[in-house]
Amino acid sequence: MATIGCKDFPNYLEPWMEGDRHPDALAHLRDCPRCRSLVEDLKVIQATAQEWGRTESEPPAYLWNSLRAQLGQEGLIHQQGNQRGWLTGWLPSVPRPALAGAYLAAVIAVAFGLSGPVNQRINRARWLEGTQNSTMPLRAQFASAQMNATPLSLPDSNPTVTASLHNNLAIVDNYIVLCEKSVNEEPENELARDYLFEAYQQKADLLAQLSERGGDGR
Amino acid sequence: MSTTHFVSGTWNWNGKAAGVLATGLLLFGATASAHRIEKHFTVEPRAVITIHNPNGKIVVKAWTKHEVMVIANHASDRVEVTAEQTGNRVDLRTQQLSDTAAPDDLRADYEVSVPEDAELQIHDDSGEVSVTNVLGDMNVETVAAGVALEDAAGYLTVKTVGGSFQCVRCAGRLEVSSISGSFRLLDLRSYHVRAQTSTGNILFDGEFLPNGIYRLKNYSGVIEVRFSPGDSFDLSATSLKGSVNNEAKLTPPAHPQRLSSKFGYALGTFNAGRAKVELTSFDGTINVRKRN
Amino acid sequence: MPEADAIRLAQQGDAAAFERLYQLHNRRVYSLCLRMVGNTAEAEDLTQEAFLQLFRKISTFRGESAFSTWLHRLSVNVVLMRLRKKSAAETSLEEVTEPDEESGGPRRDFGAPDLRLSGSIDRLNLQRAVEQLPPGYKSVFVLHDVQGYEHNEIAEIMRCSIGNSKSQLHKARMRLRELLHEALRDKAREERKAAGGNLGAED
Repeated sequence: MATIGCKDFPNYLEPWMEGDRHPDALAHLRDCPRCRSLVEDLKVIQATAQEWGRTESEPPAYLWNSLRAQLGQEGLIHQQGNQRGWLTGWLPSVPRPALAGAYLAAVIAVAFGLSGPVNQRINRARWLEGTQNSTMPLRAQFASAQMNATPLSLPDSNPTVTASLHNNLAIVDNYIVLCEKSVNEEPENELARDYLFEAYQQKADLLAQLSERGGDGR
Repeated sequence: MSTTHFVSGTWNWNGKAAGVLATGLLLFGATASAHRIEKHFTVEPRAVITIHNPNGKIVVKAWTKHEVMVIANHASDRVEVTAEQTGNRVDLRTQQLSDTAAPDDLRADYEVSVPEDAELQIHDDSGEVSVTNVLGDMNVETVAAGVALEDAAGYLTVKTVGGSFQCVRCAGRLEVSSISGSFRLLDLRSYHVRAQTSTGNILFDGEFLPNGIYRLKNYSGVIEVRFSPGDSFDLSATSLKGSVNNEAKLTPPAHPQRLSSKFGYALGTFNAGRAKVELTSFDGTINVRKRN
Repeated sequence: MPEADAIRLAQQGDAAAFERLYQLHNRRVYSLCLRMVGNTAEAEDLTQEAFLQLFRKISTFRGESAFSTWLHRLSVNVVLMRLRKKSAAETSLEEVTEPDEESGGPRRDFGAPDLRLSGSIDRLNLQRAVEQLPPGYKSVFVLHDVQGYEHNEIAEIMRCSIGNSKSQLHKARMRLRELLHEALRDKAREERKAAGGNLGAED
């Protein structure tokens, strides 16, 4: 394996911060305190920013009043009322499928975290139970989102695209069944779990695309 | 020229019929030209061009002018093509004007000429996308449309649902993902390739650059990489439930991983191991073949 | 009222729908504006401007992207235009003043190894440093590291490529590191002065 010096290390730094751990960069960091300090500093900046991001500020209440007045003046607000579109009753309030994948990722991460790292002894039954329970509510959400993602009686402007999305959804569903089976058979198998996680993400993506097309009839 | 005069030499038409014909021809001409637009935009270096076309063909080629030229043909007046410039960015978009149009009426085809250092963002759900000789960064997303890049460079990201992907003689960094699309990566000179599909096949027949990273992954199907005797890479090829066929003579790693015997795998170093090649499949076949 | 309904009704001018959209997104938009400009008065102004533009253009929203992406793109544009008006020269996402921009690589400046950022910086330090970034860097850093957007979302919001977003983010972080180290060195110097000692070499 090639060795690199401090001069070359910055070329590896950007992918490193995106999670790419090149072996040459890893080897250099083991021996170089200056470059280690650089990486550490960037991680601190990232972590502090994330912490900052967790606090969301709320604008003052008068902002909406001022905005509403302006909208009225421009004639953009025509009426006040509780009128609801005819579709409202048909589209129950479910989180967007694109968010379901993120929820799923968080729940699975917690389930895995609680079950302990894989190189320790795992209580297989407890782990399986944990993951089944953590994914059950999300499967229900996916099923509901999948139902709502199917366009109603609205015109489909591109049947090729809709068919492709549905076909690929079926592919991913099949893939999920096989991955879940594999994970059940070998819970310690990281590769199988990676594939399962990716399959859920793909499904969330597809549902989001279907939903965006179905929601306004395109 | 009088239309009556034009037709009277060959047919015995009366004036009214000739008038109707002439009007029809004029209308046809006007309609045909109304469905075609051509626009030119002067741009600075590293212009950004975005193309949003849900249905149709998009062909992008590079040229030496500091200009973006768009020629768009759309099938009907149920869609319109808008082309706008804001600063150094040109936005091309197909807008649907009717909710009840048939799919064929919503098709628009684009031919776009751009400076070679332009950055592209392309969205095309169904149709075809082809980009040639553009060296700027690129992001292409489709559902069913196939994507073909030739002689492209920069940071290339491509995402399809079912569309296939072909990349020939490309350089820079490539990330491509799909669910059922297959990939052909030929004559690449990329230093970083990440390609992932679920059920598609992946063929990689390119260079393994020193310090390059090549990660190819699928769920099922075939992953095939081709190498030459002078190449140099660390190989990690794993198929969870499928097989790995390896023709490279590898030096085993110093600290071999303990892998289940159920896996198909090939691990080790070929020559000096300067590049990193990771091939992963769930139950597909991985072939590492020597070029003839 | 679900967002999809609120959008549809707002396109027809329904006041309750406008209010619902405002309720759903005002905190995120305001937080973004505040983080970009650093003061509440200007952030309020920008938030109002962003929502005004949103409601003026809502009839053109056809759902090609997520509504929140569309809104945040609007908001970022509103902020960037304000920042560009304030700065002396026109700036763009790609415009930087770093000497090695042509090489495309980060600056080769490692900073003093004895002054680590770990344990020495907090949100306020970072906030002050972010305020000193050029607008393009600031946007990508705030959107990614603070607000949590992914690069593909930032690319759509900023109308740039994913590669560009990643590279700008990296440069922003490197520049922030320099700024934070300078701030730490200034602080250490002041503390030494305050202590009445003359312990080290001055710049």
